[in-house]
Amino acid sequence: MSTAELDTINPADALRMLRTMRVARQMSQRIAKLYPTDVMETPVHLCIGQEAVSAGLCCHLTDADQMLLGHRTHAPALAKGLPLRKLMAELYGRTTGCSHARGGSMHVFDPEHGLPGSSAIVGGSIAVGVGAALSSKLSGSDFISVSYFGDAATNAGVFHESMNFAALKQLPVLFLCENNGLSNVMPVAEHAAYEIAGVASQFMPVFRADGTDALSVYREAGKAVRQVRETRAPVFLECTTKRWMKHQGHERDDLEINPIDPVTDCPIARLERFMIGASLITPREILALAKEIEAEIDDAIEFAERSPYPQPEFVEA
Amino acid sequence: MPWSRFDSNYRAPAGERDLAFVDAIREATDQAMCLDPRVFAMGLDADDKFGVFGSMRDMTHPERILGTPISENANTGVALGAALTGMRPILINLRNDFLLVAMDQIVNYVAKWQSMFDGQCAVPLVMRSVIGRGWGCGAQHSQSLQGLFAQIPGLKVVMPATPYDAKGLLLSAIKDDSPVMMFEHRWLYKNTGPVPEEMYTIPLGQGQRLHEGSSLTVVATSLAAIHTLTACEQRGLDVDLIDPRTIKPLDMDLILDSVSKTGRLLVVDYDFPFGGVAAEITSRVCEQAFDRLREPPQRIGFPEANMPASGPLERAYYPTPDTIGERIERWIGVEVCA
Ligand SMILES: Cc1ncc(C[n+]2csc(CCOP(=O)(O)OP(=O)(O)O)c2C)c(N)n1
Ligand SMILES: [Mg+2]
Repeated sequence: MSTAELDTINPADALRMLRTMRVARQMSQRIAKLYPTDVMETPVHLCIGQEAVSAGLCCHLTDADQMLLGHRTHAPALAKGLPLRKLMAELYGRTTGCSHARGGSMHVFDPEHGLPGSSAIVGGSIAVGVGAALSSKLSGSDFISVSYFGDAATNAGVFHESMNFAALKQLPVLFLCENNGLSNVMPVAEHAAYEIAGVASQFMPVFRADGTDALSVYREAGKAVRQVRETRAPVFLECTTKRWMKHQGHERDDLEINPIDPVTDCPIARLERFMIGASLITPREILALAKEIEAEIDDAIEFAERSPYPQPEFVEA
Repeated sequence: MPWSRFDSNYRAPAGERDLAFVDAIREATDQAMCLDPRVFAMGLDADDKFGVFGSMRDMTHPERILGTPISENANTGVALGAALTGMRPILINLRNDFLLVAMDQIVNYVAKWQSMFDGQCAVPLVMRSVIGRGWGCGAQHSQSLQGLFAQIPGLKVVMPATPYDAKGLLLSAIKDDSPVMMFEHRWLYKNTGPVPEEMYTIPLGQGQRLHEGSSLTVVATSLAAIHTLTACEQRGLDVDLIDPRTIKPLDMDLILDSVSKTGRLLVVDYDFPFGGVAAEITSRVCEQAFDRLREPPQRIGFPEANMPASGPLERAYYPTPDTIGERIERWIGVEVCA
């Protein structure tokens, strides 16, 4: 299906994806390094290895498009436009955080960039994403919505109920399944007796991408998003990817069922190899980019550190 | 019926073997599964290597421990179906917040099944779930919802505070022919205390006195009972501390007996205050022993607000042995000097 035209990527988009993925990666690595010092008192679900999915998808979204996230928020939220400073400050529990220190790592909010919130109870936010699409339809707006979830969220009844609702009412929503093959430590074969895309195909057109390959995601997400915009009806996109870290926390994953090859499984290395080969970037420029992003992360951390903690104000019981 | 071998009034003699709270739960579950082949456990991550905070590790019958998908509503219906047809399931949820996904099954099915058919069937279903804050987990992962479930007719609610009670109450729950919800505070798991090796039960609806005093009755549940006990011991408070152990049925006799003696009531329950366990106990004491109260009752619980994530907010949100102790000193300390 890959025609020459679709394989050709606009250089600006390639660079944008590389930057987005590097921001998420370098930020996550910094979090992992700082995490044992307890400066961030909140559970973190890092996205290392999975960056291509949201980076490829968000190339095709505008700020007006809404995206509803689950617990694994960092990379998709940054890709959608959440400023680094606001995310870092939230992790640091400061008032300048995106949820004013009330949310923590799993609850990000940035309406300016189409992030109306995220939920840590697996599954429920899929329906909320369908609601955003309903809003677009009822208000005669152009924006589309993305329900963004993991493979195991498809275990929940609300996944099936939401697909049925969206299909019956013909709502402009993209169901984006970031399938890392794991539900905490449980492999997908143990939590799902069905093929996820197969179930989804009962309700809507399905696209699939290699979620460790930014170009594959870019291409398939491009088609999927275009179809949602054109048909104003639900579309499903499954991106298979790999989780490099433990489900939660700063440590590398060590599950036998989840072997990681840091070269072939790395979406950043893969895109960089492609870009260098296509003369879209040089190794020296990549180094400069990495340095630039490190400086942005330093800035975000300094911002978080000098931001105030909230003052407790509760009603006495 | 193998359960008749239980001595339901067994009390631990002092100085017996010490066990951690979580190991007491493990032992009760293992012994129940060994005793009765109808007993099995299920739930998300019930069978993983971490074994539900360690409470399900190294079990004698791993073949009767079912890991499940993230399908809490269906899981609950499935457990009910198994309970109706001859099994005795223990359904485990790693956080009580996930019970909310199964509210329909719990409230409309499990709680009502026996009474809808005039008690003609048994529903020997235990629902274990974990309560309490982790670490910046925020509003959806830090709740303690015992009050919500205690409101529903048809559900028994137990909240052990000590390892001894954890084992005895869990065995009572498994032995019971009606649905029982057990709320386990995660901060209690590592606490140790004397636990007999043999099986024993604690009657559901029987509280206990954890500290003897005459100026103030404090009724406190789960971790709040341990926190209050700590405050009493550290500050030498003249407090009669009652741990009801079972929220439903509630040991009102013990509470009223204590209030008759002290004339004052404080309820400490780590849950939202509006219409919760503390509100219920307070209102029952007012209804049944108004004339014995010398002063208006008081409550300590969460503020009327959802859980925040940020460290300083979290630390301000939750009561501690110190905040409880200070509140008690402010109250009866003055009284004693007067
Ligand atoms: C209703 C509910 N049940 C259980 C959990 C605990 N939990 C949090 S994340 C997770 C695994 C989710 O896996 P998946 O949806 O594939 O997302 P991933 O973590 O792989 O990104 C589980 C079981 C939860 N948060 N909510
Ligand atoms: Mg997953």
